[in-house]
Amino acid sequence: MKIDSGDTAWVLASAALVMLMTPALGFFYGGLVRRKNVLSTIMHSFFILCLISVQWVLWGYSLAFGPDKFHLIGGLEWIGLNNVGFTPNADYAPTIPHQAYMVFQMMFAVITPALISGAFAERQRFKAFVLFSLLWATFVYDPIAHWVWGAGGWLHNLGALDFAGGTVVHISSGVSALVAALVLGRRLGFGKEKVEPHDATMTILGACLLWFGWFGFNAGSAVAAGSLATSAFVVTNTATAMAALTWMTVSWWHKRQPSVLGAAAGAVAGLVAITPASGYVNVMGAIVIGFGAGVVCYAAIQLRERIHVDDALDVWAVHGIGGTWGALATGLFATVAINSSAANGLFYGNPKQVLIQLAAIGAAWGWAAVGTFVILKIVNLFVPLRVQEEEELLGLDISQHGEPAYAL
Amino acid sequence: MDATTVIAVISCAIVLCGWLVLPHSATTTIKPVVVSEERKPVSVSA
Repeated sequence: MKIDSGDTAWVLASAALVMLMTPALGFFYGGLVRRKNVLSTIMHSFFILCLISVQWVLWGYSLAFGPDKFHLIGGLEWIGLNNVGFTPNADYAPTIPHQAYMVFQMMFAVITPALISGAFAERQRFKAFVLFSLLWATFVYDPIAHWVWGAGGWLHNLGALDFAGGTVVHISSGVSALVAALVLGRRLGFGKEKVEPHDATMTILGACLLWFGWFGFNAGSAVAAGSLATSAFVVTNTATAMAALTWMTVSWWHKRQPSVLGAAAGAVAGLVAITPASGYVNVMGAIVIGFGAGVVCYAAIQLRERIHVDDALDVWAVHGIGGTWGALATGLFATVAINSSAANGLFYGNPKQVLIQLAAIGAAWGWAAVGTFVILKIVNLFVPLRVQEEEELLGLDISQHGEPAYAL
Repeated sequence: MDATTVIAVISCAIVLCGWLVLPHSATTTIKPVVVSEERKPVSVSA
């Protein structure tokens, strides 16, 4: 197999774009919390970037993409990047060095547990967060990545379509966030005092950087610099814009004002929803997916508020529901006119694809929910998940890290 | 025109029409801006 310099350059650049998304997420989340918790919130993302970068090369990549075992998990043959060199791997990316594909996938593994951190913001003990993240990446993310993307994975064999991680990244993290919020319980004063974002401008900046990085996430998932990457780039931008417009309009109708933070959240919902579909749908499909994301994710937040679940930064509503909508919509709007190696969806004459997508959605929801619950209970045996009341009142920046964010 | 395009056009129409009927400005009471005390001039010695 011959290495293509253009493809390699694009995938390495995309890996760098996706890497930027994790600190961008830190800023997106950081602006939404109170001033006393901003550093701890940003630290969650920064720390996970470091932690999973090491976990991935040691055993994560091998479990997710290594030689298949029972269609459920990768083997340990590639542990420590053994046998993962510069010769292309035909199963995953035949025109780039295997390590280029590995490092691109690493950035997906990094951002996924970072997404969950928004659910338990402002109250989780840092040490518990460290243990949880390592176990979650190993026992939840790596198996689901293998099912969907690994050569021989059972959902891969079934024909489930997930171009850039709607199921692997967003459903898994969003559902886990809901479980984490339920297990940890509500923040002190939740529902009694209003928690205002301490810096909306930081959140908007984070959303813009996420949007920028997402081009690597989706268009990079073509693992080649060509027409498929171009199509994924175009539909990503289209769906994101449409979701932001829709969310803003819905919130304008519901709250009587066009929310700026709402437009940013809508953009992220659109990015999430187009992720699984980005290599399979045309621009019209992207508009519908963006519109649907703006409506269903906004509705999910209203439901979450009504049932008083303290998913602090609405990870379940945006990523869990947005990812579910995107995975389902892939089964509706996928067309081989965009990607001849995939399958048509319901609207192009293949209703069976919807059932396959539903199977993948159900499997990811189930494994993520059960796995997260068990991991949190195990961690809680060794380290209390929550900080003490006085630490929560003081703020996690001081109580967990001994540093204030701002010296004003 | 295929079904996906029809749904996409309807989606855009809903959003665009929504803007025509939405309120022009905020309906909630705007909080007065807190004005900080004027700073006293600082004397500078020669």
